Amino acid sequence: MVETELKRDRIVIRLGTKKWEWVLEPRYWRNTLIWAVILFLFPTASYFVSPGLINTMISANIYAAIAMPLALLTIGTGRMNFGPQFYIGVGGYTAALLSISYGWGPLLTLPFAILMCIVAALIFSPLVLMARGLYYVLLTLLLPLVFLEVTFIYPDIFKGDTGLFGIVPLLDTGNAKTNFLYIGYISTAIMFAYLWIINKVLKSRYGLLMAAINDDEDVAHSIGININKIKIIAFVCACTMIGIIGWFYAHYFSSFAGITYLPLTFMLKILLVLMIGGRAQVFGCVVGGYFIAFLEMLMIRFMGPIQPVLFPIILLILLFVLPEGLFGLYRKRRYREYLPTIHVRR
Amino acid sequence: MVPLLKVMNLVKRFGGIVAVNDVSFEIYKGETLGFIGPNGAGKSTVVNCLTGYLPASAGKVEMNGVDISHMKPHERAHMGLARTYQIPRPFPELTALTSVLASSISGKKRINQSFQDAMYDATHYLEFVGLFSKRNILARDLTFYELRMLELARALATTPQLIFIDEVMAGLNPGEAKSAIRMIRRAKEEFGITVFWIEHVMAVLMEAADRIVAINYGAKLAEGTPDEVVNNDDVIEAYLGRGWREYA
Repeated sequence: MVETELKRDRIVIRLGTKKWEWVLEPRYWRNTLIWAVILFLFPTASYFVSPGLINTMISANIYAAIAMPLALLTIGTGRMNFGPQFYIGVGGYTAALLSISYGWGPLLTLPFAILMCIVAALIFSPLVLMARGLYYVLLTLLLPLVFLEVTFIYPDIFKGDTGLFGIVPLLDTGNAKTNFLYIGYISTAIMFAYLWIINKVLKSRYGLLMAAINDDEDVAHSIGININKIKIIAFVCACTMIGIIGWFYAHYFSSFAGITYLPLTFMLKILLVLMIGGRAQVFGCVVGGYFIAFLEMLMIRFMGPIQPVLFPIILLILLFVLPEGLFGLYRKRRYREYLPTIHVRR
Repeated sequence: MVPLLKVMNLVKRFGGIVAVNDVSFEIYKGETLGFIGPNGAGKSTVVNCLTGYLPASAGKVEMNGVDISHMKPHERAHMGLARTYQIPRPFPELTALTSVLASSISGKKRINQSFQDAMYDATHYLEFVGLFSKRNILARDLTFYELRMLELARALATTPQLIFIDEVMAGLNPGEAKSAIRMIRRAKEEFGITVFWIEHVMAVLMEAADRIVAINYGAKLAEGTPDEVVNNDDVIEAYLGRGWREYA
């Protein structure tokens, strides 16, 4: 009988009297460059083996690309935002409506999607100053649901039931398989760009100030941090980054329906990416994104109808077993490295 | 002589309760001003009003002749006000060094201060309070005394002119308390700061303070040298009760 035991820094496998230890040595797998090369080779490899994997990879990249700004948002404002998908809706609908009405391509709709997200984020940014704790959670939770209702109330504009169709696609090479390959690379590029930007910000002095705000807002204010300014800047930037993913979704699928992204189920998946990856660790978001996208794909393929029940159960068990997330295994060994995580406030 | 901080008719009401009632005093550069009062007298509320954590209901606060009554806490910190808390409030997820670093970056504005400069600064203050060897320990794992020292380092790293020290003795054993007091005195001498010291233990302030202000029920009872205040009948009554003479 094979016995496996997950210890703090190693996996111990026992078979009878024999024992193998696999030390989770971070020296190699912490090298971002190795992972970047693997991720860039992955689409080409799966292009020849199993093109369906590219689709899963795009999902994983996009989950990670939504979770990373959400991590920045959570750390920078010191509050848990439960409605990041609202900005996916704003970005997506802006791109979709402009593209359908004027026949604009993705490059033309992008600046307008960004602009609309900035405006929407600025309008709702006073929330991070006025509300905290449960009130903030409730308000942010309600925003996407209200937006979803609006798409049903005005079906002429948003086509709430069916969604908007006929959006100019992101790429059109004439071959669907090649399109997938290129879009796989675009999604990887977006994910890496977000990873680079957010990691740079969190490692800079502003990241340190955000971590201080995340830990204790009042104390941070009293040592001279202009908390309102930092919170609003973090909120607007992170929401805009999430909004860009809405633009990507609209042009990638050539259709955009609020009912796909605005309900709680989609939000739950993103929050799980954030938590399973490792309590708002940016690198953890990538790990969490890939983990959840591939787990979902495997379960849909092999579990069939039981998948909607088993998928959340597996994730909940993981949350219970690994409260610090997958990246927490690494952080435990290297606690000296300065990496802010979310601090759940009463 | 222009006072460093001038508090004029400070009032703070919480609904119908008057926590601070018409308190006025001045703090002069380089002195140590003791601030005493029984439990619930309103000492911490005064500090909260002065540092901007709570908005005052009425009254005026001037620093170096500038009205700071309506300034926000971070603006007051940039003017040179710093504080420590009665119950230490560290940044639990940050290491000791990064806690002080955050304060060094965000305190009083320093021209062309790079991240590295701030790091050197933070190291200096951490070494000053004797926590250099614990620089990489998360703040939540430090002992109570170390947290007090970390708070002091964090306050000093903002390069203040005036530092509010809130009950430094609370929760420390006699040996730790002694070294904490020594540390505050050294800080005052080395960095040329003015100290506003709230304390429960009278003996400490008798030794350390140049002047003492006593308050009770939010109103000022007495002001003067430590000997004057300790022998003031109103102050003794506030601490011991009305019938203290019978047992004296």
